[in-house]
Amino acid sequence: MSAPHATSAAASSSKRDARPIAFVSAQALRERMHDAVNDPHLRKSFRGAMDFLMAKRAAQFPDESELDSLRTLSEGIRQYSLSRLPDLLEQLEAKLTRNGVQVHWAADADEANAIMLGIARRHAAKTIVKGKSMVSEEIEFNHAMHDAGIDALESDMGEYIVQLAGEKPSHIIMPAIHKTKEQIATLFAEKVPGVSYTDNVDTLIQIGRQVLREKFEQADIGLSGVNFAVAETGTLCLVENEGNGRMCTTVPRVHMAITGIEKVVEKLEHVAPLYSILTRSATGQAISTYFNLISGPRKPGEKDGPEEVHLILLDNGRSQAYADEQLRKTLQCIRCGACMNHCPVYTRIGGLAYGTTYPGPIGKIISPHLMGLEQTHLLPTVSTLCGACGEVCPVKIPIPELLVRLRGEAQSKPHDNPVMVGQGAGYSALASFVWRTWARIYARPGNYRMFSWLASRFRALTPSRQSGWTAARTPLTPAPRRLRDMVRDRQ
Amino acid sequence: MSSRDEIIEAVRGTLGSNRANAATVRRDADALLEELTAIRPDLLADDLVEAFIARLVTPKVAATAERIADASELPAAVARYLEARGLPTAIALQPAAVLQALDWSGFELHDRVAPDETLAVGFARWGIAETGSLVFHSDAETPILANFLPLHHLVMVRASTVLAYLDDYAAATAGQRPPRNVNIITGASGTTDIEGSLVLGAHGPRYLHVVILDESAEPRALQS
Repeated sequence: MSAPHATSAAASSSKRDARPIAFVSAQALRERMHDAVNDPHLRKSFRGAMDFLMAKRAAQFPDESELDSLRTLSEGIRQYSLSRLPDLLEQLEAKLTRNGVQVHWAADADEANAIMLGIARRHAAKTIVKGKSMVSEEIEFNHAMHDAGIDALESDMGEYIVQLAGEKPSHIIMPAIHKTKEQIATLFAEKVPGVSYTDNVDTLIQIGRQVLREKFEQADIGLSGVNFAVAETGTLCLVENEGNGRMCTTVPRVHMAITGIEKVVEKLEHVAPLYSILTRSATGQAISTYFNLISGPRKPGEKDGPEEVHLILLDNGRSQAYADEQLRKTLQCIRCGACMNHCPVYTRIGGLAYGTTYPGPIGKIISPHLMGLEQTHLLPTVSTLCGACGEVCPVKIPIPELLVRLRGEAQSKPHDNPVMVGQGAGYSALASFVWRTWARIYARPGNYRMFSWLASRFRALTPSRQSGWTAARTPLTPAPRRLRDMVRDRQ
Repeated sequence: MSSRDEIIEAVRGTLGSNRANAATVRRDADALLEELTAIRPDLLADDLVEAFIARLVTPKVAATAERIADASELPAAVARYLEARGLPTAIALQPAAVLQALDWSGFELHDRVAPDETLAVGFARWGIAETGSLVFHSDAETPILANFLPLHHLVMVRASTVLAYLDDYAAATAGQRPPRNVNIITGASGTTDIEGSLVLGAHGPRYLHVVILDESAEPRALQS
């Protein structure tokens, strides 16, 4: 049904195809999902991890009504911040500049990478050590630096493992959750010099700690993401448990932070409840181990801290989501991952199958804005619409409602005034004709009676192979007798 | 047009009809904060310092704590900690005036923290009872690497600076120009990145010991 569009989109995005899994083709998506569902190790890893995270979150919210109040408040703060977005962005820029932070703006991934490459070149940087940043994944930062001959090294334990393996993160807060400790042990023994095989988790983490300690000292630049940017004071807030993020933002001479334009809030008092619901929803922690607020470079007399701090504010499709009042809710997200943990589809296929930076329910509603519907029109259909994601979302993003909206945007007939890039990319004249015909039959009792009578009569003609439907199900065959006939016989 | 102007214009142009005036905006923001106080979780004890300590020693935070009645008792507390664990007496001491003023005879002090430092003693500006957190501000006297690098982190905090909730810290510092770096620390560094098993001492300290300076109280030791 969507194959012709998939091919044309693939042809037009040859530049993106050069990068690993940036294009979600129907064929590749189905293959990845099929492989994932048939991988018992993967199924077990995800089932276990998601059960663990769901139980930990539930333990944080014993009182349903308190949870609802906190969600309402958090939703209110996010919507309030977004309603003042242009003003807050200007205020943030002014305050950060006053504090000595250099602010850069990037319309897309290429511009963001060019800005950071420019900074790296000015400092003749050879190594960049990275704290966890999903936006850096989104712009394929490591890839861009590698092409320029600069090493970008992940320092979050999970990201470090995933990078050593040459893979991509499969969960936004537990990047290596798809790997078993035995796989990690083999990986370390192969890739880390002087390390022999051990599957003791404590020892594996200590190996990572030792290797990365040296890297922090050697790195010319530290890169981090941002969880919240406070406009009133010009402050960047970072949430973490390991302590690698604060090393990245303190030890190297230069600190670059990158974030989406939607992360700005008015004041620190608004951060406190968002931070609380973030850690409780994400990992079931009342608070993360570390919370760092960065408001500028090293001051005279200080003995540590970077001499230069840069912030890159990235649009990359976010202003498109912002332009539509319903789609704007996508930008309320605080990246906790609870929607993934509770998603029956994500739990079964894992994060890598989606083929996008942000997997799971939130990925399905944000990726179409970042990548355009031409490449992502299938994503909103990878859902059962069970509603669990919307129920657990700490900022009450109506994810199921947005999925339905995006299906509409993707599959409606292309028109002149689209709100999204790639509107109509999933449109099929045949499918549209079938549905219109069905609607005509269904809307009139006379037509429906006629149709069902014909269907029962000619049921022997129904094909036994019905395209995608019969790939995993028995064929749809009309009943030998209609329900209405059976009811009539009983009377 | 620069990307900056394009982005600002794109969001401003599509902001929509519900663009509120300044007074409404202020009211909305204040209303949000009023709601906040209504849904705060209960503390673990009525007394702030007791609630703080009770939280610190929960398995989730996994810190240890003790109380002293005078700052001069700190070196003895550090000596006890070292002895109990068989650690050397060479320690990193944050160059905070309140710590430097104490009598550290018997210790081998340095103020520059090594990448593989065993133990550092530091000073926190605030404690947070709700979560068992410590708040550090960076400045010339309190470099922050001392909070990141050592295996054991030993921290003194004044009982009078223990606040009930994290938002009280936000309120207490509202309107002030923030320091370059604020570190809020809750327990030991940890990761669950391999199969979800918790391992302590990922990139930061593996052990956190908090000494509460309670100038109004009788000295008494608390344990983990």
